[in-house]
Amino acid sequence: MFGLVAQTLVNGINVGAMYGLIAVGLSLTFGVMKILNVAHGEFLMVGGYIAFWLFTLIGLDPFLCLPFVGVILFVLGALSYKLLFSGLAKFHEEAKVKNSLLVAFGLFLIFPQIARVLWTSDERAITPAYSGESFAILGIRVGYVPLAGLLVAVVIIFGLHLFLTKTYFGKSVRGTTENWKAAKLMGINVERTYLITFAVGAALAGIAGILVGMMQTVTPDMGMPWTLKALIVLVLAGIGSVGGAFFAGLILGIVEAVSAIFIGPYTMALGLVIFLLILMFRPQGLFGKE
Amino acid sequence: MAVDWKKILPIVGILIFLIFVPLVTSRTDVLTWFFLTLLYIALSQSWNIIGGFAGQVNLGHAAFFGAGALTARYIWLHFGLPFPLALLGGAVAATLFAMLIGLPAFRLKGIYFVIGTLVLAEILRLVFYTILPEADVMPMKLLGTYSLNPRYYLSLLFAVLSVAAVYWVSRSRLGMGLLAVREDEEAAEASGVNTQKHKLVAFLISTFMAGLTGGIYAYYGAAFRPGGLFEPVWTFDAVIIVFVGGVGTIIGPIIGSVFFVLLKQFLSLYLPGGMHVAVFGVLFIIVVLFLPEGLVELITKVRHRLLGESSQIVS
Amino acid sequence: MLEVNNIDVYHGDIQALWNISLRVDEEELVSLIGANGAGKSTIVETISGLNTPASGKVVFNGVRLDKEPAHKVVAMGVCLIPEERGIFPGMSVMENLELGAFTPQSRRVRQETFEFVYKLFPVLQARKKQAAGTLSGGEQQMLAIGRALMGKPKLLMCDEPSLGLAPIVVKSIFEVIRQIKTSGVSLLLVEQNVRAALGLAKRAYIIENGRVAGHGDAGSLLDDERVKGAYLGTN
Repeated sequence: MFGLVAQTLVNGINVGAMYGLIAVGLSLTFGVMKILNVAHGEFLMVGGYIAFWLFTLIGLDPFLCLPFVGVILFVLGALSYKLLFSGLAKFHEEAKVKNSLLVAFGLFLIFPQIARVLWTSDERAITPAYSGESFAILGIRVGYVPLAGLLVAVVIIFGLHLFLTKTYFGKSVRGTTENWKAAKLMGINVERTYLITFAVGAALAGIAGILVGMMQTVTPDMGMPWTLKALIVLVLAGIGSVGGAFFAGLILGIVEAVSAIFIGPYTMALGLVIFLLILMFRPQGLFGKE
Repeated sequence: MAVDWKKILPIVGILIFLIFVPLVTSRTDVLTWFFLTLLYIALSQSWNIIGGFAGQVNLGHAAFFGAGALTARYIWLHFGLPFPLALLGGAVAATLFAMLIGLPAFRLKGIYFVIGTLVLAEILRLVFYTILPEADVMPMKLLGTYSLNPRYYLSLLFAVLSVAAVYWVSRSRLGMGLLAVREDEEAAEASGVNTQKHKLVAFLISTFMAGLTGGIYAYYGAAFRPGGLFEPVWTFDAVIIVFVGGVGTIIGPIIGSVFFVLLKQFLSLYLPGGMHVAVFGVLFIIVVLFLPEGLVELITKVRHRLLGESSQIVS
Repeated sequence: MLEVNNIDVYHGDIQALWNISLRVDEEELVSLIGANGAGKSTIVETISGLNTPASGKVVFNGVRLDKEPAHKVVAMGVCLIPEERGIFPGMSVMENLELGAFTPQSRRVRQETFEFVYKLFPVLQARKKQAAGTLSGGEQQMLAIGRALMGKPKLLMCDEPSLGLAPIVVKSIFEVIRQIKTSGVSLLLVEQNVRAALGLAKRAYIIENGRVAGHGDAGSLLDDERVKGAYLGTN
């Protein structure tokens, strides 16, 4: 009995780490600039495919791909923001929020088709030699890849937390989140802050994509389901806390793992139902402040 | 009511042409092409009412299309009732479902409404894929006597009715109120417009039409998995057609639908299927950023430039 | 030092300011007085770079401000404390002050400025780890002023510092403003409390319906019949 519960927890945390990572990126973007990037999952997909390419074409270990994917997705995110979203500055507040969602929707339409042309609809997996290996602790199976993935996620989130609380630029990001007008009056270049935040969000998604590519598969249409996952985590966590988003991701992973035992195929739907309920009755989430 | 023959004549001409198409050709690819275009016109006009006129970007439209389609299919094929009844039953089911979720749904404002509707449709899709995993196939007897013509005329009828419905809404008090809500919901509320009621009525009309369209598809499709009726593509296709064509206009979705199906046909010859969506995605972004009234606006501007008139947009 | 020359400002399609001209000289405290909605906030927001004038220009120490984005205006030494104070409620008092010294030149000397600000507002030092949102109204106003001072401004613009504060707190705020002026910073003070504003200022401009309706020495304005009738009430 203990074995089953513990194994389920471990499995849940493995997946939850990825959920947390992708949710943090979306939380940043939405918190700082109020853009709900429904194409966020597309950046995850691109990251997964790039790692796949690097792995299959030049044999680069996926964990070593991390910095490359991070940089490429950072650039891609910055370009997307510069070309598309900054053009929205001319609209007033409410229209800006709605139109940025629509622009992101446009990206969501485009990315999967390009991926289909480049990589076909076949499922791709990133499978280095140590892929399936695991070790046992107290009768629980712990895979090397998920464990490393969890460590990567924790390190990145912690690094991000330090960045936001200890560096000047990080603090200016938090200030911009709370009040962008006042931030401008402090001499903070808010437009540049938006650009960098969006790019970082994309980079985080891309890195999560590598982990997904190793633990699951990469397909052209995987973007939207992962965006939805990120949204569920966000609504659980509320905006404003990087650590909160990560923990909410872990919680979602565990909840899914547990409910998979009882309601099997309805697990995904359950997450979405939870999302709707929280959205209606407690929009600030479990950790958020209102 | 003064009759503007310059406007009526081309419309009558097109209608006569469309009525004669199945009498002139029996090629299934041509008829299917027309059928799909007309179906898309009906579907996109139904979304146009809630998304275009009321300005509520409902990303869960597929839920109502699917509800109408699945209900109609079951009433017709599994309970053996005549199809017209099934069609009506499907539309009613879709509308009832809309009434059920309409009030709670509209408590969500702005982007929360957008995401909420998307998630709702997604839940339905997953649930139906799980509880009805088998494909729903037309019985052999029906397949043997299957003719595309009644489907064609049915979709033609509904395409025309949907355009008429949108025309009627745009000219009515409801339409005025909806436009006020779309421009600035708070201001509309402050000036006495019952925004909740307006949104709800638009929603019910929109979902009723979507349910009918779904029923037509149920009549047309030989075999499909029920979950597939709730695929987000039914929503997204309608959304991009309306936006690119001209959101909140009457002709916009018509132009958009024709362009959409044509582009799909054309591109599928050279590129993997789905590229038309990418093209529309690019156009969609251009419309959001620069051309809010879509192709209608573009055509009007070009026409005025060619005719040397001032560029006043008359929508 | 600061010259605003004939600016027209629009909010979207609606004109808010007509042909506004004003001037603030070195180490002067100039006040903008006028009724609610007259356009005083719009003026200081335009100077600070949050709005761009449709015509006219804003010049500070010979440099044109009106085409610059807000963050560059701050770097040139013009700081605005907005009407809503604009503090960051979720961040600590200290973090708020730190962000006030965001520009490179002010960041360099921030330790020094911290000491100055803490001396001016000891309560901020006492509460420096507290979340800014938990401070009282008066303390938040002090934080807003302190934060603006962290930017080492040459010209400080205050929009309604007394708004929503108890009279005794207002008195201490105005005392602080006087001290700031003594330290060599020029001030442009927007105030609805006309008596207090004219008591502090050397000169003042009367803003009515988006236009400059009058200006002059604070002393003579206090005696002006029109001003007395419109803004000072019977006293």
